[in-house]
Amino acid sequence: MSLPIVRQIASGAYRVEHEDRVAIVYVAGPPDDRWAFWNGQVYRNELPHGGRVDGSARTHAEPLLTAPMPATVVKVLVSNGSTVRRGDVVIVLEAMKMELAIRAPRDGIVAAVHCREGDLVQPESVLIDFAEARPDAENRP
Amino acid sequence: MLQRLLIANRGEIAIRIIKACRELGVESVAVYSDADARAAHVNAADRAVLVGPAPAGQSYLSIPRILRAVQESGADAVHPGYGFLSENATFAAACEAAGIVFVGPPSDVIARMGSKIEARRLMQAAGVPVVPGETPDEQSDAGIGRTAGRVGLPVVIKASAGGGGKGMRRVTRPEELQEAIQSARREAMAAFDDGTLYVERWFERPRHVEVQVLADGHGRIVHLYERECSIQRRHQKVIEESPSVALTSQLRDRLTEAAVSAARSVGYRNAGTIEFLLDTQGGSREAPFYFLEMNTRLQVEHPVTEQVTGVDLVRAQILVASGDPIPWTPGSLGQRGHAIEARIYAEDPARGFLPQAGRLWLYREPQGPGIRIDSGVEEGSEVSVHYDPLLAKVIAAGETRDVATSRLMDALRRFPVLGVRTNIRFLLRVLSHPRFQSGQIDTGFLDAEDAVLTASEPAGLPAVVRAAFEAHEDRATVPGAPGNGDRDDPWNRLKGWRG
Repeated sequence: MSLPIVRQIASGAYRVEHEDRVAIVYVAGPPDDRWAFWNGQVYRNELPHGGRVDGSARTHAEPLLTAPMPATVVKVLVSNGSTVRRGDVVIVLEAMKMELAIRAPRDGIVAAVHCREGDLVQPESVLIDFAEARPDAENRP
Repeated sequence: MLQRLLIANRGEIAIRIIKACRELGVESVAVYSDADARAAHVNAADRAVLVGPAPAGQSYLSIPRILRAVQESGADAVHPGYGFLSENATFAAACEAAGIVFVGPPSDVIARMGSKIEARRLMQAAGVPVVPGETPDEQSDAGIGRTAGRVGLPVVIKASAGGGGKGMRRVTRPEELQEAIQSARREAMAAFDDGTLYVERWFERPRHVEVQVLADGHGRIVHLYERECSIQRRHQKVIEESPSVALTSQLRDRLTEAAVSAARSVGYRNAGTIEFLLDTQGGSREAPFYFLEMNTRLQVEHPVTEQVTGVDLVRAQILVASGDPIPWTPGSLGQRGHAIEARIYAEDPARGFLPQAGRLWLYREPQGPGIRIDSGVEEGSEVSVHYDPLLAKVIAAGETRDVATSRLMDALRRFPVLGVRTNIRFLLRVLSHPRFQSGQIDTGFLDAEDAVLTASEPAGLPAVVRAAFEAHEDRATVPGAPGNGDRDDPWNRLKGWRG
């Protein structure tokens, strides 16, 4: 199989000739977080050390719930000791004028609530700790 | 003719209006918040006025601050665009009181149609069919719950002041009622400062078809045919088209007649849209339709109407606001070919369509026959968490629906946006879905097909993408390599924008 032939045609734009077909691929982003666009789809490059750039692809869960984006806390529906089932709405955030329901990622007990109604929360800031974490559960809402 | 028009908005719609001003020789004034100091609409206008900090409530939504900007800039008119203050009767009345032309209907019409409850009553009086439903006198959770019981589940709870899906919740099971009522009221309070709710019957698989109308100050009202907007997620439209494949010419006649009567009965002026729900459950080609609401402003999806009628709606709005009569007689306008619009949002379909914020490291709009792009960003723009995540609208026109669809899909495949996640891939999946292609769509389509439309792509990089990544790294790391930091390389003019 032949190797692709690549030529840069504009800033961040590459013409890639491969197996008798031509693709135009766009690449951009900081060195540790490169993104590409080809044929309507976005790809993210893996870091050299094998970890994923995209934080959502963590391999194991931590017993906490984080904010997905900068947002305002509209409602906190649980408190310390609350028992939650996977999928229960635990916090309602508002961002870009829309409400986002943040759901419990798993069954468990709330160990700590780290935000109050009206707080402005930043991405990745911890909103809730869960006491019972299952190592195989997905961390993100 | 208006002399100087202040555009009380941002993003793509501000730029769209600025372009119309340029063509008409009207001076344009942009307003902006701290977060938008370097936004594209600020650069596009003849002048620009800072109105306040990033939160919309202290800038784009602040009536005193917008009015002060009007005074300071010496504008004689205001165009509100859509969203923000566009359907705020208090703002329109304040403009009227200050002798400033509001490009839109009279404030009392906005107030009447802005109360969705009052609008229902007016339409019933004008003989326009409305969706079966009820407004609870008692606005408590229990009162609204009882009303929902009387209307009969499933119902949709709506905000009287609502629009754009805000303050709207569908309820199918009794145990969902309380959370739905409370969150609808909260969202309505936050968005409109009015938590009044009403209840309508929920139709299982309706189509959303709306009619564009235009009325002047001389008693003439024309319609500019329909748009079908059945492809929506949580009442937020995603893809819109004209004509609607669901209408026979007889049904189109009845629908557009109802829309014109509705507009006439409320003394409408300027551009407006009457939204109808088309109940296709019976399978009849003459499906019953019901008035949903009237939008007393320009719509996001107005370009599809412009592409099939040839009318520049924003220009027409400015002319009507200047006191000119509409130059067309009813029936003199036609629908030519087909147009489809897709809205590109900064959102991540794989994670519940979470809005995304960040810098656009790379953003290149495609070109092609029949392709029009209305956008509010450019390469290097910062997408802020403070405002709607709409980046651009791609509108494709062609002689048939198939041609328009193919053109739209080709444009989306060639529209690189890097730096924030977008719904481009999702849009392509919608457009290539057999149900979309055959026109068998309803407002439940996106929910019903969600699993297919949002499924993650297979992991791993295609060979061509891997090769491009490698070429990019070589270019970036080899000192003196072509295109790597040479000051005279024109491509490096964009360099400062890279994150």
